[in-house]
Amino acid sequence: MNALKGFSAPIVAGVVLFGLWQGVLSLFNPDGFVLPAPSEIVGALIENWDEVYQGARITGFVVVSGLIAGIILGILAALLVTRFRTANETITPLAVAVNAIPIIALAPIFNNWFGLTSPRSNQAIVVALVFFPIFINTARGLTQVDRSQVELMESYAASRSRITREVRIPNAMPFFFTALKLATSLAVIAAIVAEYFGGRQDALGPMITQSAGLTRYDEAWAAVLAGTAIGAVLYFAVLVLERVAMPWHSLIRAHGDDK
Amino acid sequence: MSEVPSTDEAMSAAQGTSSLVIDIRGATKVFNPGKSNQVEALDEIDLSVVSGEFITLIGPSGCGKSTLLRLVASLIPPSTGTVQVNDKPAEQARLDRDYGMAFQTAGLFDWRTVTKNIELPLELMGWSKGDRRRRASEMLELVKLSEFAKHHPNELSGGMQQRVAIARALAFSPSLLLMDEPFGALDEMTREHMQDELLRIWEETETTVVFVTHSIPEAVYLSTRVVVMSPRPGTIASTINVDLGDRSTATRDDPAFFKKVTEVRIALREVEG
Repeated sequence: MNALKGFSAPIVAGVVLFGLWQGVLSLFNPDGFVLPAPSEIVGALIENWDEVYQGARITGFVVVSGLIAGIILGILAALLVTRFRTANETITPLAVAVNAIPIIALAPIFNNWFGLTSPRSNQAIVVALVFFPIFINTARGLTQVDRSQVELMESYAASRSRITREVRIPNAMPFFFTALKLATSLAVIAAIVAEYFGGRQDALGPMITQSAGLTRYDEAWAAVLAGTAIGAVLYFAVLVLERVAMPWHSLIRAHGDDK
Repeated sequence: MSEVPSTDEAMSAAQGTSSLVIDIRGATKVFNPGKSNQVEALDEIDLSVVSGEFITLIGPSGCGKSTLLRLVASLIPPSTGTVQVNDKPAEQARLDRDYGMAFQTAGLFDWRTVTKNIELPLELMGWSKGDRRRRASEMLELVKLSEFAKHHPNELSGGMQQRVAIARALAFSPSLLLMDEPFGALDEMTREHMQDELLRIWEETETTVVFVTHSIPEAVYLSTRVVVMSPRPGTIASTINVDLGDRSTATRDDPAFFKKVTEVRIALREVEG
């Protein structure tokens, strides 16, 4: 029951928002061009269920695979730069420089590299966008450790890898999960926008551009809804994972609420 | 006030060199030598501590008392001079896990329960799970926190966290306990309570303690010997022997206690010039 408590307010807010949306459109009815009513979007979703479901599967695969690869690369780079000074002096400024590139703008170029209809280019965009926040935040968590905790481990003659395992990695967990929550929504945006320019034509991105081009806005919105669902499911999965991986962290929050 | 060398020599002569726990000779520490931010932290420190002593290092902030403690712990090496712990180089003593250490911040691991925090050094030393559990529960009894065994540190008050840190430092029964202002962040009442707990543990476990503080009453109340340090570069200005016998709340109102407090205060005033 306690868990549901936190959800009731946003659910009420959501119902009110969609109610208003539906209500205002049924009163003024601006031809469905500007904005289809929620009922129309749901209708389009049911009508085109097979297509939308297929699109969501393809885009979902791009998002999840890109996310996983970006996370792995980000964590590896973070471990590398905190372990080796030369790695830190070379990789970190390079990563910062690469991050300054508007990566999404590279989508058409990546299509040339990987082939216009290959999902590889979309995955590559997702990986590049996910990598940076994971890398920077995890590296920060690995280095911003309580000095006395490290000294304590040294006083026990603990090895460097042991200190990483016992102190640095647990310390980096909250940093990592903060980045991961950011990365999940970034990944969905990156995948769909990248799909506008190429990749598989039955993915959500092309579905949105094609439907909008044919003024079938309710279908475009149905595809957007599917993209939203991917993002929401991933975000929720991260929340669950966070609870499982850091049981002590929810204690801090519960404790903080008491005060 | 006594002269430094005579006290040390008298003590080591009386107890025999085998009971020398710490032997520091001509130790200096310069941070960032040769650079523009060079700091001479310690200069020509000679200090001997015999088994069973409770030594406090006191001095103005930045006098290098924490640095001196870290030389003993071999967390940093001296620039010149030697530091011996238990008749071997401090580095070897650290590798042999000859001492336990407690810091100003409890330095507990939030991701471990209280029991698991106390077990940490034992895990590193390869104790079996059963032995670790038994030992941790003994230590929790010692610091009177048994009912919090399964709690996480962030559920405990600052004083309780500090007691867990002390339990962790004592868990593997080190003969030497190094403490760097462990009660510095506590309120006065908790602090006095913790001091009594520490004295009780010190008597029960017969460890040798080196304790860094900037509180004069704390130094006097706890120690058998107060080492007064001068400002940077830190040197040992004087040592003051204290013998208050069994200490209790009444001791804090005892004229003998105030006399020693005054003595230390005068010594500190002299070094600050």
